[in-house]
Amino acid sequence: MTDAILTTLLQNQLDHISKQMGWVMERTARSPIFSESHDFSCFIADASGRLISVADGIPIHTGGGGFAVDAVLRDYGADGGIVPGDVFILSDPYEAGGNHLPDWTIIRPVFVDGVLLAFTCNRAHQSDIGGGAAGTYNAAATEIFHEGIRLPVMKLIGAGQVRDDVWRLLKLNSRTPHLLDGDLRAMIGSTKVGERRIQTLTEEFKLDVVAGCFDAILDHAEACMRRALLALPDGLYEGEDSSDNDCFQTVDVLVRVAVTVKGDEVKIDFTGSAPQIAGFKNSSVANTHSAVYVALLSYFGVTIPRNSGAFRPVEIIAPRGSVVNANYPAPMTANTGHPAIEIINAIWKALAKAAPDLACAGWGKGSSCVSSGKNAAGETYVMYHMHAYPAAGAVRGRDGFPSIGGVISLGGMRIPNVEVFERKYPVRIHRQEMRCDAAGAGEYRGGTGIDYEVSVSSRASYSFRGEGSFTPSGFGISGGGTGKKADVVVSTHAGAEIAAPQYGVMELPPTRISVSSAAGGGWGNPLRRQVDLVFRDVRDGVVSTTAAREVYGVVCTSDGIDYVATEALRHELAGRQPEN
Amino acid sequence: MSQIVAPWRIGIDVGGTFTDLVLIDANGVVFPYKSPSEPANPAVGVLRSIEGASQKLGLDVRSLLKGCSHFIHGTTVATNLLLERKGARVGLITTHGFRDTIEIRRGYREFMWDHRTPWQDVLVPRSLRLPVVERMTPDGQVELALDKESVAASADVFRREGVEAVAICLLHAYANDAHERACAEMLAEALPAVYITTSSSLAPIVGEFERCSTTVANAYVAPKLLPYLSELARELRRRGLERDLLLVQSNGGAISLDQIGTRPVALALSGPAAGLASLRHFQQITGNENLISIEIGGTSCDVTVVTNGKVAETDSITVGDALIALPSVEIHTIGTGGGTICGVDAGGLLFVGPQGAGAKPGPACYGFGGKRPTITDAQLILGRLHEGTYAGGSLYLKTELADAALRDAFEGSLGAQVSVAAGAIIQLSNLSIRQAIEKVSLVRGLDPAKYVLVGAGGAGALHVADVARKLGIRRAFIPRLAGVFCAFGMCNADVRHDYVSTIGAPLSADVVATLRQALAELTQQGRQLLLADGFTPDEMDFEVRVDMRYAGQQWPISVSAEDLDPAKLRQQFEAEHERIYASVQPNSAVEVMTARVSAIGHLPVVSPIASQVSNRILAPIANRRAVQLTDETEPRREVPILAGANLQPGHYFVGPAIIEEATTTILVGDGDMIELDAFGNYHIDIALPTSGRNHD
Repeated sequence: MTDAILTTLLQNQLDHISKQMGWVMERTARSPIFSESHDFSCFIADASGRLISVADGIPIHTGGGGFAVDAVLRDYGADGGIVPGDVFILSDPYEAGGNHLPDWTIIRPVFVDGVLLAFTCNRAHQSDIGGGAAGTYNAAATEIFHEGIRLPVMKLIGAGQVRDDVWRLLKLNSRTPHLLDGDLRAMIGSTKVGERRIQTLTEEFKLDVVAGCFDAILDHAEACMRRALLALPDGLYEGEDSSDNDCFQTVDVLVRVAVTVKGDEVKIDFTGSAPQIAGFKNSSVANTHSAVYVALLSYFGVTIPRNSGAFRPVEIIAPRGSVVNANYPAPMTANTGHPAIEIINAIWKALAKAAPDLACAGWGKGSSCVSSGKNAAGETYVMYHMHAYPAAGAVRGRDGFPSIGGVISLGGMRIPNVEVFERKYPVRIHRQEMRCDAAGAGEYRGGTGIDYEVSVSSRASYSFRGEGSFTPSGFGISGGGTGKKADVVVSTHAGAEIAAPQYGVMELPPTRISVSSAAGGGWGNPLRRQVDLVFRDVRDGVVSTTAAREVYGVVCTSDGIDYVATEALRHELAGRQPEN
Repeated sequence: MSQIVAPWRIGIDVGGTFTDLVLIDANGVVFPYKSPSEPANPAVGVLRSIEGASQKLGLDVRSLLKGCSHFIHGTTVATNLLLERKGARVGLITTHGFRDTIEIRRGYREFMWDHRTPWQDVLVPRSLRLPVVERMTPDGQVELALDKESVAASADVFRREGVEAVAICLLHAYANDAHERACAEMLAEALPAVYITTSSSLAPIVGEFERCSTTVANAYVAPKLLPYLSELARELRRRGLERDLLLVQSNGGAISLDQIGTRPVALALSGPAAGLASLRHFQQITGNENLISIEIGGTSCDVTVVTNGKVAETDSITVGDALIALPSVEIHTIGTGGGTICGVDAGGLLFVGPQGAGAKPGPACYGFGGKRPTITDAQLILGRLHEGTYAGGSLYLKTELADAALRDAFEGSLGAQVSVAAGAIIQLSNLSIRQAIEKVSLVRGLDPAKYVLVGAGGAGALHVADVARKLGIRRAFIPRLAGVFCAFGMCNADVRHDYVSTIGAPLSADVVATLRQALAELTQQGRQLLLADGFTPDEMDFEVRVDMRYAGQQWPISVSAEDLDPAKLRQQFEAEHERIYASVQPNSAVEVMTARVSAIGHLPVVSPIASQVSNRILAPIANRRAVQLTDETEPRREVPILAGANLQPGHYFVGPAIIEEATTTILVGDGDMIELDAFGNYHIDIALPTSGRNHD
């Protein structure tokens, strides 16, 4: 059998194994965060810690897991420190290759005939890990100690023996020990399934063949990435994106990137980005790498395998002490959202200059809240107001999705049904509708964003996270327009408006909340949008006749399009556009 | 052709390429007939196949139809309307504030990395999604009365816009359908020619997105599907059919034409779901209640699982972009079929699919202009198929064309040898079939090694033995009528009506009382319909089930609701949870989600006639040719070729061998033992590697 065939078969089978680990996890885990939101990822690394196969979990986990396996090898790799039956656990972003504290990683060495062949791993967001706020997100944190328990690389199971003391320690540090216990078992179970399947694979293909193929699998991904890079013109492309706050005050927190494409390699340099901030939106090394990979892989498309090989031609420079590589003990739990989104946006903006046709317009940033209180039966509930998800930006060939969540999930999280939420929580949802004239204009327009209105009928605590509220975030690209920012209005049932913070926690009486979520950016010149699509948007009520005329140059009459007037108007408007 | 004996049953399955007809007569004599489909007007293809079959049988059409006691039809018309987006102009009525539910699609993209692919347009544009003022609470109380003026205004818009069908989906209508019914009545009066459908009558489940999508899909197919079916029924009647036309639903059960009128979207999987009844028959023949079938045609491989005699079902399917939340046979489809295209990617590795060459141009070896190599081309290169005619002369396979296509695609990539590339293609396609089987079994906590693998469709039998071997499966089964698998099943489809009712409350004695009442009401509805169908009580069965879950879980588990006792129900639920997920949560609350009743009317089973098998005889060899037998690289061997037409019940043979049947080709591996049962079906004892598999 030739190497290419063997490599194809083994890559295929290893990907199937990492997916199987995911199915087991999804079906057995306790917390809705796994079954509903897929906030976990399963992956396989080789004996030296290189990622061989990553199942499609949440995109922002992609590629960061290698740092965790490296930490295991650093701490236990020498002198027979890793033996069959071991299972490691870790989380700390400073000490153990973690991305942020709520994501715990289970790492299981796979031995065949006494030889360490691979690691099967599962990184998953826990329901609660102690710290200053229930549910892992403490917007008031100023040090990592406020965010929950920190785990170095530890053996949770040593040579097949569960370490009960460690297990008790973990449960003792969670507000939801029952969920944590079940979820940990699901994680461990999924790595066990992966281990068995890899061992079976070596029976079918022989150990040295499987081990030998790892290089070829990585080389293949590398070749795919290099071809994609080679297709870009050489050059230095710059981009930046920023947050308008550090969780405590209004301040510009800049992520700046210089993308240097040279032949089939790329350097991603964050020099010039803002220093680390007081609040919990600082990135770890692992998370910054993941965000870079999400930006590149989503830009180049699905055909590039998402393993370490694809990352070889990518050099990342993340200055220490900056918001993309914060120094201990900066808090960082929000980093998988922010600054991950700013990192992706900055890179997308830079790459847009290299290949405008491939450019991706900005997805809106989230603005919503989590409310928590007691239901009629007196039980504590926590409700994420997911119906106010922001919109996606456009790419050439498609408009933005109307309401989809942050770009870090690329649409991988499901919004629950209104009917389900009304049965579960003391709320009445009044509206979940597409916004009018909010989408960034373009040949392909951005997603509309959503008008969401809800009444909460009893007293509750609200944790606001309004990243998209004050500055438009769905940037337009290649001539497209920017999507409108989000608005959050909180009022009592009597109608008195309550000033809500951009970030922060408030206790409120029965309340009505209205969110207009951030819209997505457009791609391309709006004057080139197909006239009938503009007319459809007008009929659909997501673009006004005024905007159709002024922005798209389309003249709508009461029953159709005035084509003659449209052509003249488009000509006139085009003459007024700056040359680019 | 020998004389057939009345009354007989006729099953007709319309596929993209062929229309399959199977007739089973009163003595169990089976007559299969395949003819080309007429995609522009499938009814023409149906009528033509009846004419063709009657000629072959030496009967006139009128006698053929007159002697027919059950005429059962599986149609792809609904599927194609949805896939090709050729349905009706639809209007939608929603609760004020929620007209975009169907366009937001719960913000979920299954293939998230592929964010550049657009969603298809929604089946109903926003300008025809009209909100009405009204509100129900989750427990079915009217919070805001229906504003009739807003309904009347909608009717005006629909009339002006030439809407052909209206879907009505209001919030919490599963709990109280009064407002949906009121809307329907008003609209029916205002728009007498327009088809009207409500979510509460179609799929009264919690979840406005799924309910709305189902209702809109129903409205979308009805105005074209129902006239087609009525016309077909009229034509059949005119030609002599005296019985009602029966249609196969996505749940595998049949329903009469006048009953499908309110829910035509239940025909979305009409064709493939009929395979279910075939599987039921094969359970008896194989003596095994655990079957996995792989039905492989030109474009795809459908995997279906039957465990302990029950086919795996799902509560929703997706056709094109449309989610349809109706109980359906669970068919897991992957893009691995004879026409799947293969090649080498940018990084130098092999790929098989997902693109396919379709019926036209099809595989390169067909000579219809296809230039890219497919799985069929690889089979031909390896000698498993032969140069020459297939499908009764409608195809002529040319090795030279397959060879050129493979050479072009793989030049310089996998070494010079075309046979190496061909072997790799087969290996990779077998791998994807095996992974599909592992997926459907693993998520249900099932071990495929304990099943019989059924190879159906035109190409299933070329893959079944190798796939079984790799999965540790000991027995494979190939129906002699593999190529008309679904039409055969239709002849023995049961009549089935499904009902659901939402409960949605924690398990308690009170809730069980509610559940008991709901099940009794649903059962009564089913009984009345079956009585109207002409079934006697002893021909009826009622499957009563209840969906339960731990509070907080997303996926409920369905258990039998025969024993309505809170403790028993919990026990059953936990036993099932333990079996599937290997865990229980003794301290967690259990919720009762949905009550389900399937009312089944059993048609008397007509079994194919069994031959007397006196003793086992070694099957005759027709000829030999050079075949590369395994999918790994190895020298070709002279392999015995058996002609299916020469084989009789009782014949056996030890592989390697190739058996050429009328509608399929069977690959028998080295050491596999194949034999024909009394019905002429093939059973293979798979020679498993001696080392065995690491079972887990």
